[in-house]
Amino acid sequence: MDINPTSLEEEAPMELKKQKIENLCSQYDAGGMNRRNFLKKMTFLGVSALVANAVSLSPLGASKAFSAIAGPEERAWALAKTAAAKATKKTLTLLIPTGSIGNMKPYTEKWKNELGITLEFIEEPDEVVHTKGMQEAVAKTGRYDVMMPTAMSYPDWIDSGVIFDLTDWVDQYDPEIFNKEWGVVFPASHHAQLYNGRVAGLLNDGDQITLLCRDDHLKNADKQKAFEDKYGYPLAVPNTWKEYFNLAQFMHDPANGFYGSLEYRSPYYVKWMFMQRLVSKGRLYFDNEMNPTFNTEEGVAALEDMLAMNPYLHPDAFSFTWSSNYNAFGRGEGFMNIVWPSGFKYSKAPSTGPATTGKIAATVMPADTLKDGQQLYAGLFCWGYGYAVSKYSANPELSYAYAQWMTSPTISADAIPYLGGYSDPYRVNHMKAPTQRLIDTYSPEYLETLYDNMVNTVPDFCLPGGFEYQDALDKEVHACMTGAKKPKKALDDAARKFDRITRRIGREKVQKSWLALARNLAEPIKKASGADKW
Amino acid sequence: MNNRKLSLPLALLMGAALIVVLFPVFWIVMTAIKPPTDWNASPAIWVPSEPTLINFRTLFDPEALGAYGVGGVSQAATKAVYGSVLATVSATLASVIIGLFAAIGISRYGNNSKATPLVILSGRMFPPAAIAVPFVIIFSNVGLIDSYLGLFAIYVAVTLPFSTWMLKSFVDDLPREIEEAAMIDGRSRLAAHLTVTIPLIKGGLFATTMFIFILNWSEFMFALVLSYSNVCTIPVQLAKYVTATAGTLYGVQAALAVFAMVPLVFVGYHIQSHLARAMTFGAIKQ
Repeated sequence: MDINPTSLEEEAPMELKKQKIENLCSQYDAGGMNRRNFLKKMTFLGVSALVANAVSLSPLGASKAFSAIAGPEERAWALAKTAAAKATKKTLTLLIPTGSIGNMKPYTEKWKNELGITLEFIEEPDEVVHTKGMQEAVAKTGRYDVMMPTAMSYPDWIDSGVIFDLTDWVDQYDPEIFNKEWGVVFPASHHAQLYNGRVAGLLNDGDQITLLCRDDHLKNADKQKAFEDKYGYPLAVPNTWKEYFNLAQFMHDPANGFYGSLEYRSPYYVKWMFMQRLVSKGRLYFDNEMNPTFNTEEGVAALEDMLAMNPYLHPDAFSFTWSSNYNAFGRGEGFMNIVWPSGFKYSKAPSTGPATTGKIAATVMPADTLKDGQQLYAGLFCWGYGYAVSKYSANPELSYAYAQWMTSPTISADAIPYLGGYSDPYRVNHMKAPTQRLIDTYSPEYLETLYDNMVNTVPDFCLPGGFEYQDALDKEVHACMTGAKKPKKALDDAARKFDRITRRIGREKVQKSWLALARNLAEPIKKASGADKW
Repeated sequence: MNNRKLSLPLALLMGAALIVVLFPVFWIVMTAIKPPTDWNASPAIWVPSEPTLINFRTLFDPEALGAYGVGGVSQAATKAVYGSVLATVSATLASVIIGLFAAIGISRYGNNSKATPLVILSGRMFPPAAIAVPFVIIFSNVGLIDSYLGLFAIYVAVTLPFSTWMLKSFVDDLPREIEEAAMIDGRSRLAAHLTVTIPLIKGGLFATTMFIFILNWSEFMFALVLSYSNVCTIPVQLAKYVTATAGTLYGVQAALAVFAMVPLVFVGYHIQSHLARAMTFGAIKQ
C-alpha cells in the first residue's frame, strides 16, 4: 500500500507526495470533492486503486484511514528524529549481504539531509553474514548498528547476546507487523521475525519459493492436444506434485536444450527441495518431542519422487546456484523452475530473462494427496532477510527506528521494486494492495500467487543450531540424489545427526523453540502433521 | 641431461599437462573480456566474438556495467587493491627480513637441535580457521581489528615460519668459511653477514620473497574475518561481486583475478630460475 509509486530518484521527495495525498484526503473528508474525483486524483498520485477505494470507503474518514497505514513509518521517523538529535555518533552502520544494497541506497540522502545521519553499508558475502554476527558476539566492537541476517540467525544471535530482543520497542512504536491488512503475511510474520515468541528482527524480504512455468508452451495448441491425449486432463500449471512430474516428463526435450524443470539438486539447495515435498505429504521435521520425523515412509516417498524427477531436470541441476539457475531459466532452457520471488523478477525482466520475459505463468507450490484423499498445499519460507539491532550499537534506538522505518508498509512497498536488492514482497499490502511499481515489477497475478503461497509456508530450521540441522539434512539428501545412499539410509543417517545436534544443544531448548514455531503453522498443515494436538 | 632429446610421447604428455595447467588461466582471461551476456552462455563461449574491457572498467567505475543493464555493483576495487598492496608488501618485507636474520641465527649459531624445525614449523601445523577466532578476540581487545596493522601482524606471524625455514636452507648451503674469511679481513659478524652472506643467497632471497608474497597476496580467511569496512583485500573483494540483478559477476571477478595475477606473473618470470630450488625448501642442491 505504498502511496509513493514513483522512484525517489526521478520524483520529488516522498514527503512531498505524501503531503499531497494527505491534503487530498482532508479535502475529500471535508466534502470538497466527490468520490469519483477523489479516486481519479489518488490514482494520478500513484495510489493503487485498492488503497484509494479502501480509504474513500473507510468509516474512519479518508485522512484517518490513510494515516493508519502510514502510522508505522511516521512513528519510526519521529523516533529516528529524537534519537538522531541525541546521537553523538552520526553514522549508522549496517552489516548487509552483498547484492542487497539496491533496496536501501535510495534513502541515504533523506537520512543524511533530514536527520544528519550517514548510512554506512558494510557488505559481506551472504554466506558470511551469520558468522560475522557470531564474531561480533565475541569481539563486541560496536562496529555494526543494524545487522541483516536471515531468520535462521536469530536464535543463535539472541542466545549469544549480540542482538536486542525488539519486543519492547515493537510494543512501544508498533511497526504493525501483525496487522491483518498491512502486516507481514501470517505465518511468516511469526516464523521469520520471532524467536520463542519474542521479536528478534523485522522482516524485509519475503523469501518463499513458488513454481514458474513457461506460459507460451502451456498455450501451444499442439501441445495442449498432445498432453490431454496422453494424460487425460488439460495442459495447465500443475496443481499437484504428480501433475508437476507429468508436465516435466511431457515438456522434456533435451535434444533441443529444453528440459522439464530446473529445480535444484546441488549441495546447499537440495534440502529445500526435499523439505518442500516432505511437508506437503503432511510431515514436519520433528515431532513434539524433537524426534526427527522425516525418515518415515513420507520422507522416503519424497526422496523417491525427487529421484524420479532427476531424468527430466536440467543437466546443471546438480551444480546450480541461485544465479546460474536464474540464468539458465532466463535463457529459455527449461519449462518449469522452483524459485524465490527474485527468480520471477529476474525472468520477467527483458535484460536478464530474454527468453522468458512475458512468458511466465506462476503458481503456488504443488499439493500432495494425503492418505485421506485431502490435498495439502505447503510452501516453504526459506532464507528471508530481516533487520536486527546490535547490542553493541552506540545508537540502538536509532537503529531500531531505521529497521521499523524501512520495513513500514509504506516505505517497504517503495523499496522493494528497486532493482539491485534481494527484498521481495512480504506484507499483506505488497500483494493485496500493490502500488503500480510493485505491479510493474512482479505483475498482479504473481503478487496474488505470492500471497496464496505464503499463507501456507512452513519455516526453515529457525531453531538454535538451525544451520547445523540444515547442513546435516542437505548432505544426506544430496548423497541420495547422487546415488551414494538409498533414500531410507540417507534419511536415517540424517536423523542420527539430528539427534546428536539436539542432544548437544539441549533438547529442552530446541523443543521450546520448535513448539513455538509449530504453534504458528497454517491450520491445514498443523492438522495434517498432528501439530494441532501438541 | 641437457643433450637428451625430447621423445614424442613425453612431448605429448608435457603438452597435455600444460593444457591442463594453463586452462584455468585461459578461462579466467577469456571471461575477463566477455560481455555479461557471455559469462554464463550455454553452450559456453570459449573466445568472445566481441571482447570488451567493461569488466576491467567496472573494477574502478562500479556503474560501468550499467551499459549492459547490470546494476548493483556498489564498491570500486580501488580500496581492495590498495589494501592488498599495502598489507602484502609490508608483511612480506617484514617476514623476509625477520626470517632472514632468524635463518642466519639458526644456521650459524644454533645448537642443531632436532626440535628446531618442529618449533619453527609448528605455527603452520593447524588450519587458519582454528586460530582465526582467537585472533578476533585478541585483536578486538588491543584495537587491531579492522586495521592494516592487524592484518600486517597476522600475515607476518603466519608466513614467518616459511620464510625462516626456506632461507635457512640457503644459508646452510653457504660455506661458513666465506663469512669467516670476511671476519678475518676485519669485518664484524653483522657486517660479514650483510656484505657476504646476503649477496650470496640473493637468489634464494628473491624466491622466498616471491613465495611469501604469493601467500600473503592470496590470503582470504584472515582478511575476511579480521576486517569490517576499513580493511579490504583483493580475495575478499572477489567474494563480494554478487548482485541481486545478475547473480555472480563472473566477468568482473575474472577481471580482478587477472589484475591480481599480473604482478605475480611479472615477478615470477624474472626470478623463475630460483623458484624450483626455493619451492623445495632447498632440497635441490646446486
